[in-house]
Amino acid sequence: MAISRYEEINEMEKDIFKEIGSIGGGNAATALSSLLSAQVNMLVPRVEILEFNEAMAKLGDPEEIVAAVMVQLSGELQGIMLFTAPGEFTDEVVFRMFGKTKVSLLELDEIDISALTEIGNIVISSYINALSALTGVEVELSVPQLAVNMLGGIMSLPMAMMGQHSDGIMMVTGEFDIEGKALRSGMLLLPDVESLNILMKKLGVD
Amino acid sequence: MAKKISVGIADMKIARQEGELITYALGSCIGIAFYDPMIKLGALLHIMLPEKNMADSNVLKYADSGIKETLRKLQAFGARKSRMVIKIAGGAKMFEMKGPGGLGNIGERNAQNVKKVLMAEGLRVASEDTGANYARTMSLDVETGKVCIRSAGKPERIL
Repeated sequence: MAISRYEEINEMEKDIFKEIGSIGGGNAATALSSLLSAQVNMLVPRVEILEFNEAMAKLGDPEEIVAAVMVQLSGELQGIMLFTAPGEFTDEVVFRMFGKTKVSLLELDEIDISALTEIGNIVISSYINALSALTGVEVELSVPQLAVNMLGGIMSLPMAMMGQHSDGIMMVTGEFDIEGKALRSGMLLLPDVESLNILMKKLGVD
Repeated sequence: MAKKISVGIADMKIARQEGELITYALGSCIGIAFYDPMIKLGALLHIMLPEKNMADSNVLKYADSGIKETLRKLQAFGARKSRMVIKIAGGAKMFEMKGPGGLGNIGERNAQNVKKVLMAEGLRVASEDTGANYARTMSLDVETGKVCIRSAGKPERIL
């Protein structure tokens, strides 16, 4: 059944996104592992459809400063994908890659920024590859963009995008575990509603 | 310390005499503070999009319907448009987005439409902190009408 709002997604459809999230997250963990030369695991992702204010509450303090990488999806699937990482996550990455300790998110230099953009890009591409492999849809990705700012402000982009059609967003969230240290990060896969219907059809849950 | 009243996304709160209305981390969204100093009545509205989509019943999500609804409520509480002081913040561009779709400049479109709707209501924006590429937390002190803007790595700004 075609849906017109995110809120209409049912449990079975959610499970499919969970599966895509698991495969994508697993691939991302492998890629991160070789980049950081550390053992990286991905914990089982959660898929939630949440009203805007609930989503904010779930993601944490709206004023928390996070690094976020955004990629626009085009082709058979339209939408955006967003990867958010708080300070503990970026600290770990910058430490493992460059041996730097405790770099404030607001004082990242160009090299840190390009490394983090690349990490976001790797995570996002892993998800999209899993999605493409599973559904056969062809998706093109834009050049990744990094922003470092308050979480709430970052989230205004996906929310504004979904806002015309919905009062909620779909979040696939996951945690990476780097050398036994669980590090929170957020992954938002936001196909527009039309694309969601295309996906469901391809997967045969229509 | 005055009571803090938090305003969510696509939300609006009204307070009288005392209290602080606060909305966190406005990105491309816009916070609109309405204040009638004579009766110390204030409202803070947090909108997300410029224009209402006919099918949507969530009026506070949009600049046009949100401003109208807020004014209607404030007037019911005795506020007068002629005394009202309006301050706005937000409308940032968090990511540099290329290509069509208009999503990249949603903040700018929000700011423009907020001003247009206010002007059509005969109201003027007394001061604003909009645009750029960072998020803002906005608060309105209902006792004094003072509007404070907080953003990451920047000193607090009073509007």
